[in-house]
Amino acid sequence: MSDTTPVIPDQPEVCRTVDAEERGVWRRVMDRFADHCRARSLFVLHYCTGCGAIELPPTITSRFDMERVGVSPMVTPRQADILLITGYLSVKTLKRVILSYEQMQSPKYVLGFGSCTINGGMYWNSYATVKRLDQYIPADGFIAGCMPRPEAVQQVFLDLMKKIDAGQANAWQDYYLNYDRYLGNQMALFGEEWHTPVDVIAEAEHYGYVGDGTRGRFTEILDRHAAYALRDAPEDYPERGANERLLP
Amino acid sequence: MRPQNYRPVAHPPSHEYELYFGPNHPGIEGNYAIRVRLKGDVIQEAIADGGYLHRGFEKIMESRLWIQNVALVPRICVPDPVPMEDSYARSVEALGGLEVPERAQWIRVLMLEVSRICAHLFTFGGNAATIGLYTNMFWGVSMRDLFLDIFEEITGARIYHMYITPGGVRRDLPPGILDKLSAVIDELERRAPEFDDLFFDSTVVMNRAAGCGTMTQEQALSWGVTGPNLRACGLPFDLRRDDPYLVYPELDFDIPTETAGDALARMRVRKAEVQQSIRILRQVIARLPSVKGPIRCPLPNPLAWNVPAGEAYARAESSKGELGFFVVSNGGDKPWRVHVRGPSQMHAVQVLENLLTGARIEDIAQIMFSLDACPPEVDR
Repeated sequence: MSDTTPVIPDQPEVCRTVDAEERGVWRRVMDRFADHCRARSLFVLHYCTGCGAIELPPTITSRFDMERVGVSPMVTPRQADILLITGYLSVKTLKRVILSYEQMQSPKYVLGFGSCTINGGMYWNSYATVKRLDQYIPADGFIAGCMPRPEAVQQVFLDLMKKIDAGQANAWQDYYLNYDRYLGNQMALFGEEWHTPVDVIAEAEHYGYVGDGTRGRFTEILDRHAAYALRDAPEDYPERGANERLLP
Repeated sequence: MRPQNYRPVAHPPSHEYELYFGPNHPGIEGNYAIRVRLKGDVIQEAIADGGYLHRGFEKIMESRLWIQNVALVPRICVPDPVPMEDSYARSVEALGGLEVPERAQWIRVLMLEVSRICAHLFTFGGNAATIGLYTNMFWGVSMRDLFLDIFEEITGARIYHMYITPGGVRRDLPPGILDKLSAVIDELERRAPEFDDLFFDSTVVMNRAAGCGTMTQEQALSWGVTGPNLRACGLPFDLRRDDPYLVYPELDFDIPTETAGDALARMRVRKAEVQQSIRILRQVIARLPSVKGPIRCPLPNPLAWNVPAGEAYARAESSKGELGFFVVSNGGDKPWRVHVRGPSQMHAVQVLENLLTGARIEDIAQIMFSLDACPPEVDR
């Protein structure tokens, strides 16, 4: 009765594979045109990660009016272009930031707001905060200061627009090219059980940004998590504690 | 290890479901989350899930010099930083036996009241936005910006001023600032009827906010509620009068109260408080030019300043409620232990959990904003 056996494809069709020829001259021209359009319409994810959120209402509303330069807030990560990290990140927030970041569609841009995202700022010796944002997710720009003024926030948006228009805001590609390094830093902080619902490697294959740093010893740990989810855990899989809930 | 108040959420039956509200939900105030169990759209149980903004202030402060902590304390509560600076400064002054000059005390009162108006305008805007009145949010924020300009001229910073130091204030008021401040106050009073039309007399607010998130006075007292939230339950308790500090005894002001104890009453109390703050500011503006003298008492070398051993508690009436700093010194150049008693800790955890139970899902944001909880101060 071989006819009734369901046919399981070897490789699940997560997303379409990109032809090498598609990345030809025409594709590059289209990319540049898309960049030009994209720079004119940017949506910032509405996620107040720290104190910097207090300067966003003045930036958005009447006085400084961010919308006149083409930047508007957006409530869901899946429709947002910019992730603005407003200030310090505690370890608990960083998990949610990474979850939000991975849900955003490429191309996506990360901006660090305030000194805390650059070197820890005021909380350089705090046990609870993350000192350098760009170790965990790639960032396109930073605003120094505590607290930066609304004009500074607008300036970083204008700079980002120029970079996008010139095709230089490519930090998101670095996440795919060096995923193993970013994942290793995340695991160093959250433990080896850390994993997210997003298959970053499949996305990297989709966009054609698989580099030497995409896979490595840390992504191998992810494969073990995937096997565990399929009730096929290896013998040496770490025991999960009763109170361990990595995802909300 | 589980914390002592850990409560696991039981697996819900099929007609109930669990919703994780936050932390990047636009209806929530700041980076904060609430885990709610729902039946239909009625909340059966709510569990506050904070910790997203934890920076370990009380521990960091032990590793910095007394004078370095001046830069750290305003960051505890972002919308209303001046009472933090003032309470910390007064607790250190109590330990070190410093006498604050009279002029510095008047300047501090000016800063405190401007900060109160800023925080109330911000809450007013946020509260209106949670029930869909976005015009109020734009108005509140733009009105607050006028006061931030005053702050900027006095201290050089819009948000974190680091202006009040132990022993006085950092520098004297710039010339002409009092005239500018009175012009801004006049502008706020001129626009107050428009705010009334748009918010306090609005049918939407009457329907949505009246009877929403109600607590009785006994409940409020047993849950540790302070500030405008307590006065909205009918108890005229205000530290500016009941435990006076600085030059508040010389000032003439009322303590507005409401009896309903719901979201609307809380906003009405805030509105009345803004009017009282304007009244206080007018008295300060009239009095301040005649108060001469230094703005800071002489301090020892701040890099080698050993504050005498002892413990001190200084509390202030911030825009959120009672705010206190308990500081212990062992005679060294750094605090030995600091404890912050923040009002939002009670409002955002135990009060919010209790008020949300039985409320509807669309009122979560409104109840949280009407309590004026400040997540950075909850987590610290």
